[in-house]
Amino acid sequence: MRNRPAKVNKIRVKRGKLEKREAMMGVLFCVPWIIGAAVFLVYPIFTSLYYSLAGVTVDSVNGIMATPLNQIQWNNLQEKYVQVISHDQNFLPALLDYLVSTLVSVPVIVVFSMIIAMMLNQKIRGKGFFRMIFFLPVIIVSGPLLSLLSESSANTLSVVDTQTITGAIGSFLPPALATPVTSLFTNMVTILWYSGVPILIFISALQKIDTSQYEAAYVDGASAWEMFWKITLPALKPMILLNCVYTIVFISSNDQNSIIGLIKQAMISGTDEKGYDYAAAMAWIYAIVEVLLVGIFALIFMTRRDKYEKQGKKIDRQMRRERRKVLHIQRRQARHAKRYHRPTVR
Amino acid sequence: MTKRLMAAVLAMMLVLGCCAFSLAEGVTGETEEVVINGITYHKATDLTDEPITLTYFHFDQKETVEYLAQRFMELYPNINVVVQYENVATYDDTLLTLVANKQAPDVIMYSDCDFALSNMLLSDISAYWDSDPETAAIASTINSAGVGTFMTKARYAVPVKFFPTGMYIDLNVLDKLNLERPPRDWTWSEMIDLIKNATVANSRDGMAYYGCGYYNRLDSYYGIAASQQIIGEFGFDGKEFDLGVWAVGEQEFSDLKLGGYIAPTTETQEMEDWTGDWEAWCGATGHVALFTEAFWTYMGTWATEGYKQYNLDIVPYVVPAVSEADATKDHHTIATIDFGGITPSCAHPREAYELLKFMSFGVDGWKTRNEIYNDETKTNAAGLPLKYDVMPCPITTNEEVWAGYIDMYCKGMDEEHRQCWEEYFASCMQPIPYGWTSIAGYWNFCDEYFNSIGIHDLVDQGKAKAADYADEATRMANLYHANAMLKYFGPSGYNVLSEDEIDEYTDMVDDNS
Repeated sequence: MRNRPAKVNKIRVKRGKLEKREAMMGVLFCVPWIIGAAVFLVYPIFTSLYYSLAGVTVDSVNGIMATPLNQIQWNNLQEKYVQVISHDQNFLPALLDYLVSTLVSVPVIVVFSMIIAMMLNQKIRGKGFFRMIFFLPVIIVSGPLLSLLSESSANTLSVVDTQTITGAIGSFLPPALATPVTSLFTNMVTILWYSGVPILIFISALQKIDTSQYEAAYVDGASAWEMFWKITLPALKPMILLNCVYTIVFISSNDQNSIIGLIKQAMISGTDEKGYDYAAAMAWIYAIVEVLLVGIFALIFMTRRDKYEKQGKKIDRQMRRERRKVLHIQRRQARHAKRYHRPTVR
Repeated sequence: MTKRLMAAVLAMMLVLGCCAFSLAEGVTGETEEVVINGITYHKATDLTDEPITLTYFHFDQKETVEYLAQRFMELYPNINVVVQYENVATYDDTLLTLVANKQAPDVIMYSDCDFALSNMLLSDISAYWDSDPETAAIASTINSAGVGTFMTKARYAVPVKFFPTGMYIDLNVLDKLNLERPPRDWTWSEMIDLIKNATVANSRDGMAYYGCGYYNRLDSYYGIAASQQIIGEFGFDGKEFDLGVWAVGEQEFSDLKLGGYIAPTTETQEMEDWTGDWEAWCGATGHVALFTEAFWTYMGTWATEGYKQYNLDIVPYVVPAVSEADATKDHHTIATIDFGGITPSCAHPREAYELLKFMSFGVDGWKTRNEIYNDETKTNAAGLPLKYDVMPCPITTNEEVWAGYIDMYCKGMDEEHRQCWEEYFASCMQPIPYGWTSIAGYWNFCDEYFNSIGIHDLVDQGKAKAADYADEATRMANLYHANAMLKYFGPSGYNVLSEDEIDEYTDMVDDNS
């Protein structure tokens, strides 16, 4: 008797009307975002990259004119990007300042947000009111308002003696390190204002932690400190990364950021080398640094996969491999059977 | 016969064509009188009758410009004026975005000429300017110093907002210190003497008196006051810079600062020590004799009700000239002037010129402004009458306009103070604008070289002498200027420079590179 190979039957189920409609609805819901992202994200990204490589001129008759794509030379790239990095006296120091101050202020904002979120997650009276207070700056804060705050020196806490603190820090730290640390104290209000959304994200993450874990830990005699380190913090870890990314992006694209000012200045400058193309090159260098910064935080906070989950996946992979092996053997047997036990033709 | 007829027709066409060309190229000066709201306007008759729309993009006082646009549309009912206001902080940015998107406005204001020229935002309006009789009756330096021409044969810009510079003296302080009032035609050295004499560290009322409180640095004033040959900041003579002149003024001002003759600025420890208030302003202390404040500070601050409590008696003096010969007659003084022009994409330049004139130096526009400023029910968004909100000064010399302006400005003043203002206004009509508005390459020089080395701070702190920087700064300023002239007005730009001029600027670049 000939062994027939076990055929894996793929049953094709025709999609029902309801399923199709649901899929269509999903697409329709996404269309505004797709259009928005295409027009306001993808197109500007590629245009700015193009401008950074091409020579760009602007006049009132022809509007903006860039060197055609096929005429762009390697020299252009060298020219603009090298100019920004090596000749611009303001850009690199500003970039360095941004880098150091962001590296210092992001952990402060995230830790502060986490502490406030944990406090607001307690069973306290007027919880909603306190949450609203911390979120209020996000609603009313805007570029001009923040500028007004900093112009009127209202971005420091009057109860904190910032002058003494900055003096003390400056006495033992080198200026390059002391400046970003002291700027934390002089811009305390601004930093607190950045915490609205991270607090909200942490609260939602805290509310998703299964309370039975705390009960079990409590039964096992764990202290609150231990529960924080073993239950709360691991559960919040993905949100820490999310908040870090959010805070970096917020700080980087803020009107208060001096590099944004430099880019705008370069755009409208009348000098030979500056203009749209130069500003676009600046923006791209800045964007790369920003992505690297996000990458650093991602490397630090990227959640490692669970050990058991890892093992489970390994076993899954092994089983799939064995199934493929069996299938392969069965197919080979079928081929052999066909070749050597061919029915005799009379 | 046919040939003759053809020739005659062609000749007639040629003559008519020439007439049409000249109409399109200039201003006929023909006007008709129109009375609106009791004001007699001289409406130009060579404008189109077709309905058209003009956009006016500005950073002037918003409500005032809206009133002006309204009146212009009453005068020319077929012209619809769309006014677009943009804050100074985002002005260039927004304008460039509009231009890049081929939505350039017809008439624009600008403050940084390097921005306007490098993006070719201004068209040549020489034909209109040269044929317009009103442009002869304007502050003399606008024509004699080539302000708005950028030292070329063509004119690209007209003065829109004019704020003369004044030296404000608090007569009450002079009386308290038993000091004599300086003569109205004072010299630079007399001013320095006054500053020194009016500084009293240990006064009887326990609060120190200072000779000078500053908003503008004295070196900016000195650079123009030093000589009548100078027609721009940093000793600019129309072709080259000489920062040696600036260095004298810079050093003198820094020495005054180091000597303790200059009042502390707001939000400094010195101000806290002097007044006990970190945020105090020296202009409200009643202990400063002379101020280098902006023109609008008088009307916008000192003349307001809130400032009467400080018991100040402020009168204006003209910026003194360095030499006695210049001081005794009208002389060049630095002034804040914002400029405007017509964009090359404008489809109706003749009509746009009329609008630009109405909004800036034109007599009809200024008659309307006087009406607006006189009416204290017309207010800004904060409810302040418009005359208190950065009101400019007429740059036309038209007597009717000036009589109306002085009546409005001096309302409520006694005869002595009115006299002071009249004398001041009569002596400030040789304005020289700040360099960034009128000299090609000036702002780029400041932005990339001058400001980056922090000369002011170094000299103010006594760490360096201004004269040590003068030669190198002069070389750099000339380099930037020559490069800018070639770029903006050479063959790759407006192409209005002659061969000789191109050679001259090219040599300048070579010499200073």
